[in-house]
Amino acid sequence: MNTYPLKEAERIEPALSVKNLSFGYGHRLVLQGITFSVERGIICGLLGPNASGKTTLLKCIDGVFTPKDGSVHVEGNSVSRLGRRDVAKLMAVVPQQTTVVFSFTALQMVVMGRAARLTRFRLPSMMDYHEAEAALDGLGIADLAGRFFNELSGGEKQLVLLARALFQDTHILLLDEPTSHLDFKNQFMLMDVIQDVTKKKHLATIISLHDPNLAARYCDCMVMLKSGRLYKEGLKDDVFKEDTLEQVYGIKVRVENTSHGTSVVVPEQRRDKI
Amino acid sequence: MKHHKIAMFLAALTLLGAVIMSLALGRYRIDLNTLARILFSVLQGDNGNMVLATPSMVLFSVRLPRVIVAVMVGASLSVSGAVFQGLFRNPLVSPSILGVTSGASFGAALAIFFAGNTAWAVGSSAFLWALIAVFLAYQIGRRGGNSVTSLVLAGVIISALFTAAVSFLKYKADPYNQLPAIVFWTMGSFNSVIWTDAVRVSSLIALGLVCIYILRWWLNPMALGDEDATTLGINVPRARFIYIFITTLIVAASVSICGNIGWVGLVVPHMARIIVGSDHDALIPFSALSGGIFMLVMDTLARVLPGGEIPVGILTSLIGAPFFAYLLITNERKGEWQN
Repeated sequence: MNTYPLKEAERIEPALSVKNLSFGYGHRLVLQGITFSVERGIICGLLGPNASGKTTLLKCIDGVFTPKDGSVHVEGNSVSRLGRRDVAKLMAVVPQQTTVVFSFTALQMVVMGRAARLTRFRLPSMMDYHEAEAALDGLGIADLAGRFFNELSGGEKQLVLLARALFQDTHILLLDEPTSHLDFKNQFMLMDVIQDVTKKKHLATIISLHDPNLAARYCDCMVMLKSGRLYKEGLKDDVFKEDTLEQVYGIKVRVENTSHGTSVVVPEQRRDKI
Repeated sequence: MKHHKIAMFLAALTLLGAVIMSLALGRYRIDLNTLARILFSVLQGDNGNMVLATPSMVLFSVRLPRVIVAVMVGASLSVSGAVFQGLFRNPLVSPSILGVTSGASFGAALAIFFAGNTAWAVGSSAFLWALIAVFLAYQIGRRGGNSVTSLVLAGVIISALFTAAVSFLKYKADPYNQLPAIVFWTMGSFNSVIWTDAVRVSSLIALGLVCIYILRWWLNPMALGDEDATTLGINVPRARFIYIFITTLIVAASVSICGNIGWVGLVVPHMARIIVGSDHDALIPFSALSGGIFMLVMDTLARVLPGGEIPVGILTSLIGAPFFAYLLITNERKGEWQN
């Protein structure tokens, strides 16, 4: 099992470690023997084709799904033994897309991030609202506070949900394809923000992404899933390779280095056979 | 924030005004001057001035318990509607979604059929069967995946079952006494409210309303969806059970005293949402106030309209349905019905 980055001196215990995790519906196993760990200050990209188990893995990590086998530990705590309140103090989730039936304002959405830390039977105080405003301000979207969440653009919605997750004040941040409904520009805008907060707040960020190029640009390490199994995991440069990508996505690709020093993957012209 | 406070204050004033009007109006008219004198003398400790014996008797033993119950039932039904709409994430849900009213109807019909039409038996049986119906629906829904959809479907199943059972009882009932009694009960009325019932039911409702008031903000994350609520740190099945339990108690208490009164639990929370927004922090207390006002005004109308008293359940639907249509049309672009 590898731990990233491989700096021996700084390593105490990984912020998040997944050991031999399996999950299935009935007899059909969706995830099998997944093992990896992530340290704080690191963005870990979760990659794989559709139905490879990315979303399921994230749900197993945050305990929404109970794994069939194996364990998830956060800073030494076994997630399956914790109550929902305690899990929410350790991990925050940015969902893929939230459709809200009722008209909550952005500020009211962000304040809900405080739920796990409120004393039972209490409501958020004025102080909580002020801090929620500060959380919006921290992402540069203070002007959205009074707007209705439903009426925001896709990029703004994701930023508000990110602000809510950060307001939850956890060390671990899980994001499930946060860019999938965003246009070209907003994808980079959101990823920039995620990268900034990960470094600034020293978070362990796990993000599932469709686009391997976004992952190559922003992630420090990668976990490649294929049909519910861990195909390869490790530092970005070790995983982001032609043969790995070809095996995982099933198309012929070429990895090219750009003049900025980053790598991009492009499919070969013919995509019918490898 | 401020906007809500003003709305809340105005609603409280309106409720006070409605209470005074309702006490004064009726077949036996008590003018405001007399009303003030009676209330003043009571405040001074003189228990019902002898000079005003008749008006104070009308006031204290007939109208006051009825006014109290109407306000409490209105508040209970509309708060329950608001809670269920948030819980089931659907603005078209009413408190009867889990079968509470069909269970109550069955209980009432059962008591009328077997135990004679005594208020005590009908009320208790309605209350009991309302609880049983929701308990069954909840158990079926829980075993069927414990999701919002499975709960709603279970409610539909239980409602169908109890409605059929009521029809069967109606069919078998004696058409001269029992059948009209069952039919009148299901129309809903505050006609037979007496002090003992008023105290019993109102205190139960008040207790439930206080609990919901304390827990009101937590409906916000619940309204986002099970997964969101879970990752925000809420034990969703447990929270849902608590809300359903309290709401069922107060709705069962309400229908046990006055029968089925429709539309209040659907229309009033809607209206409240348009005025104070969807944040349950403001929505719950405002729903309580406006539900009390709506029900009291309807019941007063039911009493004073020419042609003798009509069941208030007819009025709430007769006035509530067009009002709902009006809200639907004028607020099409408010965002509440989108998605």
